[in-house]
Amino acid sequence: MSTRHHILALISTLLATAAIAAEPVTVTQKGLVFTPNEVTLVKGQAIEFVNDDTTAHNVLVTGDGVSFNGGLQAPGGHVKYTFTKSGTFAVGCGIHPKMKLTITVN
Amino acid sequence: MSTFELCRGLLAILGMLAGGCVVYAAGGLPSEAVQDPAMQSLRASFLRPTAVPQPKANPITADKVALGKLLFFDPRLSGSGAISCATCHNPGLGWGDGLAKGLGHMGSQLGRHTPTILNVAYGEPYFWDGRAATLEDQAKGPLTSTKEMSMSLESALGLLRSTPGYVDAFARAYPGQAISLDTVASAIATYERTVISSDAPFDRWIKGEDQAMSQSAVRGFVLFNGKANCAACHSTWRMSDDGFHDIGVRDTDRGRAAIMPGIVQLEHAFKTPTLRNIALRAPYMHDGSLPTLTAVIDHYDSGFESRPSLDSNIHRLGLTATEKADLLAFMDALTSADAPVTLPDLPR
Repeated sequence: MSTRHHILALISTLLATAAIAAEPVTVTQKGLVFTPNEVTLVKGQAIEFVNDDTTAHNVLVTGDGVSFNGGLQAPGGHVKYTFTKSGTFAVGCGIHPKMKLTITVN
Repeated sequence: MSTFELCRGLLAILGMLAGGCVVYAAGGLPSEAVQDPAMQSLRASFLRPTAVPQPKANPITADKVALGKLLFFDPRLSGSGAISCATCHNPGLGWGDGLAKGLGHMGSQLGRHTPTILNVAYGEPYFWDGRAATLEDQAKGPLTSTKEMSMSLESALGLLRSTPGYVDAFARAYPGQAISLDTVASAIATYERTVISSDAPFDRWIKGEDQAMSQSAVRGFVLFNGKANCAACHSTWRMSDDGFHDIGVRDTDRGRAAIMPGIVQLEHAFKTPTLRNIALRAPYMHDGSLPTLTAVIDHYDSGFESRPSLDSNIHRLGLTATEKADLLAFMDALTSADAPVTLPDLPR
């Protein structure tokens, strides 16, 4: 294996390790708002959505070939989604469409 | 009952209804009661915004507004030559039509009640089921629907392109652009964003004019945010969360679930309508099935259908006759004396 291949393999391993090690990011749903409303992740990292409102919500993830519907999320409920592809994704709530979040996965 | 006693009672009620988180300190002056932080915070949450949202993709100009108004009121953009946007969104009827369900091409009945376009600039997404993300997309729907205005796109654009007054108006509003469905919808949406309700007694009360609403209406405001739980969905200054909820109307219409399946709570769920000028827009609900606001209050009190999709905020209220009257008084206080709308002279 050439030196170049060694370096690439090392970078790949480091990135994979970073993705495995990356903790889930918590996004809250409160006051009909996602907080934060922009998140950058590494591939393999997850978001945990926590409904801190007194009304039910929903998590819809779309973009770059992904379509995920988290179903009904009761007050206090958690939804976790792992982003396994890189790209830009829109997160919304089917019940309250004004709730919007942008996810960038590197 | 003195004003002070009323305020103390209202705040005590508010505290109880908010789960006991508000503790009212007895004593003090009436103004101090009104200045209670909880009440002030609640009032502030209903303050009107100072700016009207305008999309970056379609910034407002006076020429677009003028053109949009022409298009909005022009019945020649329908297959029958008799229906304009204003036929169903009549400014004299609260920008609705006063009917249980809208009437479309040749008088055929449509599937749902006509929603108002009042304050629609703030209210994305659009239609009862939210299928249009933007007001521009919404404007295209009735224009091209065979059930509604029922004019072919070719015919509509042909009419506009052959009418000198329209050619000039489009040239001013959209210099260098063709007359197209996109520019038609853009102009109509821009005009619709100017349809804003002016200050109602409630707005003056929110801004601190304590005598602007009757005592009954103030009690209704407290009920609205407390025992009656209306504000769970009818939130913000427009009294709408722009969300989708099943409120238990006995109807087989699937609402938002038809376009977004897979979420139980979206079955029979429809967009929360604004309550601004609601007293002017009978009948009510997405199917126009309730003739009066009294009937609406009775529905929320105990008349709803319990089913798996019913919104979790809806439960039997047990409102007294006085409380129902107070809620009515509050909703009346949402009525603004808006300036009359003048009809445009349509281009020839």
